[in-house]
Amino acid sequence: MGLSRRDFIKACAAAAAFAAAGVTTARPEWAEAAEDGITWGKAPCRYCGVGCSVLVGVKGGRIVSTKGDPAGPVNKGLNCIKGYFLSKALYGKDRLTTPLIRKGNRMVEASWDEALDLIAAQYKKAIAEHGPDSVALYGSGQWTIQEGYVASKLMKGGIGTNNLEPNARLCMASAVVAFMNTFGSDEPMGCYDDLDLGDTYVLWGANMAEAHPVLFSRLIDNKLKHPKVKLIDIATRRTRTTKMADEFIAIKPHGDLAALNAIIHVILRDKLYDEAFVAKHVSFKRGKENAPYGLKDKEAFNETPADVKNLTFEEYKALMKPYTPQWAQKVSGIPAAKIEELARVYGDKSRKVNSLWTMGVNQHSRGVWVNNLIYNLHLLTGKICKPGENPLSLTGQPSACGTAREVGTFAHRLPADMVVMNEAHRKKAAGIWGIPAEKIPAKVGLHTVEMFRAIDRGELKCVWIQCTNPFQSLPNLNRVRKAAQSRKAFIVVSDIYPTRSTELADVVLPSASWVEKEGVFGNTERRTQQWFKMVNAPGKAREDVWQLIEFAKRMGHGALFPYPEKGMHRAIFEEYRKFTLGTGKDLAPYGVYAKVRGLRWPVKANGTETRWRYTEADDEHVAKGEGIKFYKAPNNKVSVWFRPYEPPAEVPDRNYPFWFCTGRLLEHWHTGTMTGRVPELRRAVSQATVELHPEDAKRLGIRNRDQVRITSRRGSIVLTAEIGGRGTPERGSVFTTFFDEKKLVNEICIDAFDPLSKEPDFKKCAVKVQKA
Amino acid sequence: MTSRWWLPRRAVQTGTILLLASPAAGFTFFSGNLASAELAGVRLSDPLACLQAVIGSGVLVPSFLFGALLVTAFYFVLGGRSFCAWVCPVGFLTELAEKFSRRTRRGGRRLPLATGRYVLFVVLATVAATGVPLFEVLSPIGIMGRAVAFASLVPLLVPAAILLVEIFAAPRVWCRSLCPLGAFYALIARFSPLKVGFHRERCTGCGDCVAACPVPEVLDPLWQSDACRVRAGACTRCLACLDSCPERALSVGFRFKKEPLSLTDEGRPIEKSAP
Amino acid sequence: MTKERDDSGISRRRFLKEGALAPFALALAAAGGGTVYLRPGEAHGFVLRPPGAIVARRFLAACVRCGKCAQACPYHSIRLQDRGVGIGTPYIAARHTPCYLCPDLPCVKACPSGALDQKTTEVEKVRMGTAQIVDREGCLSIRGLRCEVCYRQCPLIDQAITLEPRHNPRTGEHTIMEPVVHREKCVGCGVCENACVLPKPVIVVRETVEVQRDSYDF
Repeated sequence: MGLSRRDFIKACAAAAAFAAAGVTTARPEWAEAAEDGITWGKAPCRYCGVGCSVLVGVKGGRIVSTKGDPAGPVNKGLNCIKGYFLSKALYGKDRLTTPLIRKGNRMVEASWDEALDLIAAQYKKAIAEHGPDSVALYGSGQWTIQEGYVASKLMKGGIGTNNLEPNARLCMASAVVAFMNTFGSDEPMGCYDDLDLGDTYVLWGANMAEAHPVLFSRLIDNKLKHPKVKLIDIATRRTRTTKMADEFIAIKPHGDLAALNAIIHVILRDKLYDEAFVAKHVSFKRGKENAPYGLKDKEAFNETPADVKNLTFEEYKALMKPYTPQWAQKVSGIPAAKIEELARVYGDKSRKVNSLWTMGVNQHSRGVWVNNLIYNLHLLTGKICKPGENPLSLTGQPSACGTAREVGTFAHRLPADMVVMNEAHRKKAAGIWGIPAEKIPAKVGLHTVEMFRAIDRGELKCVWIQCTNPFQSLPNLNRVRKAAQSRKAFIVVSDIYPTRSTELADVVLPSASWVEKEGVFGNTERRTQQWFKMVNAPGKAREDVWQLIEFAKRMGHGALFPYPEKGMHRAIFEEYRKFTLGTGKDLAPYGVYAKVRGLRWPVKANGTETRWRYTEADDEHVAKGEGIKFYKAPNNKVSVWFRPYEPPAEVPDRNYPFWFCTGRLLEHWHTGTMTGRVPELRRAVSQATVELHPEDAKRLGIRNRDQVRITSRRGSIVLTAEIGGRGTPERGSVFTTFFDEKKLVNEICIDAFDPLSKEPDFKKCAVKVQKA
Repeated sequence: MTSRWWLPRRAVQTGTILLLASPAAGFTFFSGNLASAELAGVRLSDPLACLQAVIGSGVLVPSFLFGALLVTAFYFVLGGRSFCAWVCPVGFLTELAEKFSRRTRRGGRRLPLATGRYVLFVVLATVAATGVPLFEVLSPIGIMGRAVAFASLVPLLVPAAILLVEIFAAPRVWCRSLCPLGAFYALIARFSPLKVGFHRERCTGCGDCVAACPVPEVLDPLWQSDACRVRAGACTRCLACLDSCPERALSVGFRFKKEPLSLTDEGRPIEKSAP
Repeated sequence: MTKERDDSGISRRRFLKEGALAPFALALAAAGGGTVYLRPGEAHGFVLRPPGAIVARRFLAACVRCGKCAQACPYHSIRLQDRGVGIGTPYIAARHTPCYLCPDLPCVKACPSGALDQKTTEVEKVRMGTAQIVDREGCLSIRGLRCEVCYRQCPLIDQAITLEPRHNPRTGEHTIMEPVVHREKCVGCGVCENACVLPKPVIVVRETVEVQRDSYDF
């Protein structure tokens, strides 16, 4: 009875693995073509924010193979299944290869000159009649750094409007605001090394197993190596992550806001905090409360310095008194004892605790607050800026950090943590751009949700969408799609395939993708990764930078972009780099990135990277002997915010009794425009399904694979039920994925957003569920 | 031509094909094929298929057996091989093919009708000995049914082969002499109440009925004895003889009065004088 | 039918024509039959039958090839064989469309003859076959990539297929998440075979081999 059957299987598996290891060459297959004449180049993966490095094999002007780059520090030669089929995403049959102009209900092929002239004429007309704030550019966290930089310079420095947004508003904006108001500088202090070095990982509503596949594999390896490592999954849905976690704690939607406050309550009550750390590094603040949910158009809410009240530690403790675990149990569904236990995990001096989160926290009508509260845990217990002990906000797009956040393509941002509201910042930007400072408007532009609402209101006349698919990805989709369908604005879409957005466009421009152009991405852990162009784009497709600069010339802003044709990407990057030097976000010269598999900024004077920010051990900006110094925060003190509990925007009621949540899965990425073109991935997962709790399903008479109608106050959709599959939502909740272009699930979603970050809450709204 | 039995017969034959195709068109009142089917909730089975399945597998499902008995009873009452003339798509096909083929003659190279019994015996012996349901494997009826219901077209080579043989080598050989299902129905048909009757007094001996009959051997006793009805199991009740007879000397029914045999010199029956 | 027929005997020309044609027609007929019955069937001698199918040899006799199971299948997963001794019998080409395990098993209910065992009522107890990873070197998950599509698509996820994580010595810091099939739970529906992303699936459904009990078992 010594060997259990499972042990036996494992033993067999191990034996087989050794046998396989003896065979040096892998079997021939399409991704590992053995022919000669293939030139290999390095590039970061096109998909998620993990930033895996891949080798791209090119032969005869075509990508014939991609594989994980063994020299890539993130993935060491591994990929997820999306990355494995990367090249196929470029070779779908329906690539856009020529500009198209709308003539009535038809799209007619046109030349680049015709298309660009038309766009310029429309933009000029709108600006002349309604001013520069009647036009906009909507970009992407998948833009390269160069594309984002050129877009920012064109809109803010050239046209003179801050109506520039990235789709990162839909995914990372809450994290950004919390980084800024807590640390004074965007992006994490820690890095992926913390996944190898820590011993306790608390996942706040993140399904890492599917959304950050290779990173999760790294985290689990730490667990396999070290028995002490503990993985706690706090979520509203049991996922593949839950399966590998040591503990699952079910939480009600929006319950995180209560649970985190209660954990802090216990830490304060039981004096589990690090007194010295708090005294040295922390200031306590209370912000504006009773915030709205952005459901009304033009609803303004800002937390200006005048709204912020400074607190003493004692005042803060007093404010936290009511947030008892017993209270939180009612709101969050987590038993009080479990909350006490979590507080002791965070407070345990012998444990290196890391918090990890993504969209569960960010896509939240109080997303900034939840981010703040997670930082509070780490700041109160001093578990921060130490190897293996950090909060780490995971990102979802390959360059959400690099382009949207570092370059600052948000409506209020300028490069390197600067904002348009700040005169000094505008001056610095204008100086580098070689324009008068007053050219850059101080007025914050339209944020994403408001931008598309402005189309519906008829206020926005022209919008150019690049590298993203808002007419599938925005919340309350019916409203924005109807506005576009009734041609309330002139819409330009640059993309590589026909999408649910190109179908609503007046002009469709064919773009170059990934290694069809040169570029730089920045991933979750501040790693800046560069690649060269390796193949030509099909047909007349051109890269987004070229499109923007050609447009700029027609708008009379050509002088802003005096880059040589050869080495343009280098020139753009070097100009952008000027913003970063000396700010603690320092980037290396372009040539360095061409050689390495990315570097984590701030890059030191000696050209090496920084793994942990704000600590003398690693960060050059902290002098020896200073220990930890939050040098970007005012008075070098980070903020612990008092953030109360406020209810969600919409809660289930008698008519709409279920919570509705959307999310991602491993096989497809975002709106599926690329992965949907890979036959293997379509074979693996062909359609969006709706996950139900088995008991809910039984009560409603719904069986696996039945058709189910989901209806909210905004829309209705029929999906196939999936019960007991890869994910199981808690009772009273349903979950679906948003990749399927045939199922516009965002028609269901409410367009409530966080009042501080303006990031919509895709995770919570009320629906009814019926058998269709 | 005095009666038009061919019209309802063609209608039933065509209806059978439509019935077989109906599930593919989305209708739900019928499913399956001629081996086993469900029509308006009633389970029906081919008795020979049932026999093979039970012998071959040892599995007996009561409803299956009941369906087979129901079908057996039905065809027993309506004349056994009436299945062949009215329902079977292979019968329909070979009949149509015959119309297009110029070589359809009485006589010629023909296997005796009784061969079918031996084929039936071989089929049952095979399934008993090896478990292979020989007729279900080879059956052109099943093949045609599935071709209609599932567009399974490659196996249609089998009925095509039968047609080739019938047209160029041995006319009607499959239905007449080889089909074990036909032989099975022929066995029960001998005692079927529904028969073709013969009114000797009206017969002019023109031979049109013999020309029309697919199994003319069954008519032979009418001239060779005093029979007033066709007794042979091989009669398919196609009623082509009725249609062909200008004198209405043939009819179909359950009861016939026997009449004395009296022939004229030429061998024709003597016309009865009015009493 | 009273029309006078051309009944004047066989002409010389016609006799020749038919005499020559008959053997030709017979040969053609034989070729047609041969095409249907002599083409090779399944390569490894295993046909994935619908849920509840009785053992192969008896199944072939019990199935009357009526196609009702195929008509009952809402996903058109069940097809009918078009060759060999099994002509007309139902099978599932899992790579094309697998069995999605309807909870009420309409195919079993449709079967008239007991070829699909009427006593089959729970999908978990179905044994159509057993999935096997037939090419461990090819399996992307076993090579350390984050694929595991078969596992996540498995309708009996965490029962029929589980993930067994182990250290990846090649990178030194990642996990190999190996899909492991548990034959006592696997129903053989073929969803994994259908989902496998490789051109030739490395996980396929094979015949269920009953666990042999011998004297060493207690």
